[in-house]
Amino acid sequence: MTDGSSIQAPGTTVGERPIEAEGLSRRFGAVRALRDVSLRVERGEVHALLGPNGAGKTTLLRILTGLVDPDEGRLRILGIDPIGGAAQYVKRLVAVVPSGDRTFYLRISGLENLVFFGRLLGLPRSRAAERAWECLAAVGLTDAAKGRVGVYSHGMQKRLAVARALMADPPILLVDEATHDLDPQGARTVQGLVTGAVERGAAVVWATQRVDEIRGFADRVTFLDRGAVRFCGSVPQLMAVSITQRFAVHLRARDRGLDVLSVARDVVRSMGVVDPLSGEDREHLVLSLREGVILGDALAALTASGVQVLACRDERSGLEEAFLRLASKETS
Amino acid sequence: MNSATPAPARLETLLGELRKVPAFFRRDLLVAWSYRLAFFSDWINLIVQLVVFFYVAKLVDPRNLPSYNGVAPTYMEFVGVGIALTSFMQVALGRVVAAIRTEQLQGTLEALLVTPTSPATIQIGSVVYDLAYIPIRTVAFLVLAALFFGIHYFASGLLPVCVILLVFIPFIWGLGILGAAATLTFRRGSGIVGFGASVLTLGSGSYFPVQLFPGWVQAPAQLNPITIALDASREALIGGTGWSQILPAVLTLVPFMILSLAVGIITWRWALRRERRKGTIGLY
Repeated sequence: MTDGSSIQAPGTTVGERPIEAEGLSRRFGAVRALRDVSLRVERGEVHALLGPNGAGKTTLLRILTGLVDPDEGRLRILGIDPIGGAAQYVKRLVAVVPSGDRTFYLRISGLENLVFFGRLLGLPRSRAAERAWECLAAVGLTDAAKGRVGVYSHGMQKRLAVARALMADPPILLVDEATHDLDPQGARTVQGLVTGAVERGAAVVWATQRVDEIRGFADRVTFLDRGAVRFCGSVPQLMAVSITQRFAVHLRARDRGLDVLSVARDVVRSMGVVDPLSGEDREHLVLSLREGVILGDALAALTASGVQVLACRDERSGLEEAFLRLASKETS
Repeated sequence: MNSATPAPARLETLLGELRKVPAFFRRDLLVAWSYRLAFFSDWINLIVQLVVFFYVAKLVDPRNLPSYNGVAPTYMEFVGVGIALTSFMQVALGRVVAAIRTEQLQGTLEALLVTPTSPATIQIGSVVYDLAYIPIRTVAFLVLAALFFGIHYFASGLLPVCVILLVFIPFIWGLGILGAAATLTFRRGSGIVGFGASVLTLGSGSYFPVQLFPGWVQAPAQLNPITIALDASREALIGGTGWSQILPAVLTLVPFMILSLAVGIITWRWALRRERRKGTIGLY
């Protein structure tokens, strides 16, 4: 690779899938970090890797970057086996935005950091400098380019990490918890930068535990929990997994003398449970229905017993519900 | 490896890797310059060391020292060569080992390893600045000693000493890579390296002649590569023997150099493979 333009890997064909993993397993001592995990990511796709802490997302990303070898399974990056002889070559095709902050040389400037990493990508010094300026401009760090990375804020370092990943305009981008502890604006900026890469045809794997950030952003989702794939499909399909059974309700008794909470508990006893949403408030409640109980039946029963239903909404979003449902599948 | 895997010419790959080395040099120069106080402290320490040994030399009877090509040195002349070579060794060894540790601690090791850069380039690149800086520091030490502390060295010995360094540096570097592998494996591997370096230095005749050791220590001490390098350097600088003593010393040091480099590189690769297998490369 001699410049920053998109590259077509020699030895690969346009039709090769960017990432194709089958049956990847990895064990760390007694802990099975990954169990028979398969992943397929297409060009121009944001593939979210969703899961709670310890699900195996980072292990999977580390296998994709060649930092960790799988114990079992088959992996192809644009048709090439990255384990073994082609490891260095495959690294030219994959860029990483790591989750941690400390991945730069803090004593030197953001510009010098990017030029250094650019040169490790094989760019000549002048092209690396030129490309570094372009990427710094893309992430809005031109003004801070010559400042030491040590004085950069958390968000600035994250944007610099994205800039580094974009230096070679890679066909594959692996992003690990990139927006974790960024403010909403910073998170949106990072997402926007990644979207730009996707529009240029890159395949993106976006590891996160935040369900809210994949809506309207990810094309497909693989849900990992305890090292195993629990779900793989589109975001709407993921939402379909959720059958909300918990609702935040605002109730009021028609007869002011009635204790709404006691009445509601009495009425829905056979259908589920009712708890206060917070402390002493006896009108804002959480209604948790048993599996198979229809919400309308519960609300009708409450209305029939002299309770007005002023508002009712899902206590959690559909995605959050799906997340919890999938994450708790094994324990239940 | 997939049959469709590209196989760029080895030479092209090698040249591509070599072109990355100056980037490491620039990075480390900028980092070193950002620590200006430490940069200047190093030079102040060098001068302090000279002053200390200048006064210690007044206590040492030169008759206890060996002569070189018939020239009886003062202790300052004797120890000056010892300090130059051992401080060279300690700094070089320490930095080769510390380079990887530092990358681990500051979190940049993984960032380096995910780039298409071979581990050997990372290892070479991490020390290239020191390998350039330390010889300058060593020569400056000898020049300062000669100019301000009344030491007489044969200028004709400087070039032969550089040739000694040409085989001595890879020997030290091999030990350093071994230490780096130990650091990668045991995290606190620098202790092992420090111990090894101390034993080698103590038995090298850097600060006192090996002839003062008991007989059973003298024999292995004569086989110490540092002793060999020191003796040849002293012959050239103090005795003014020019090139005549250099060739045998170089020929003796070459097998040590090859062994040290081979063991270092094999161990380093093994350590890296082990970390990949264990998945603990970035842990410290």
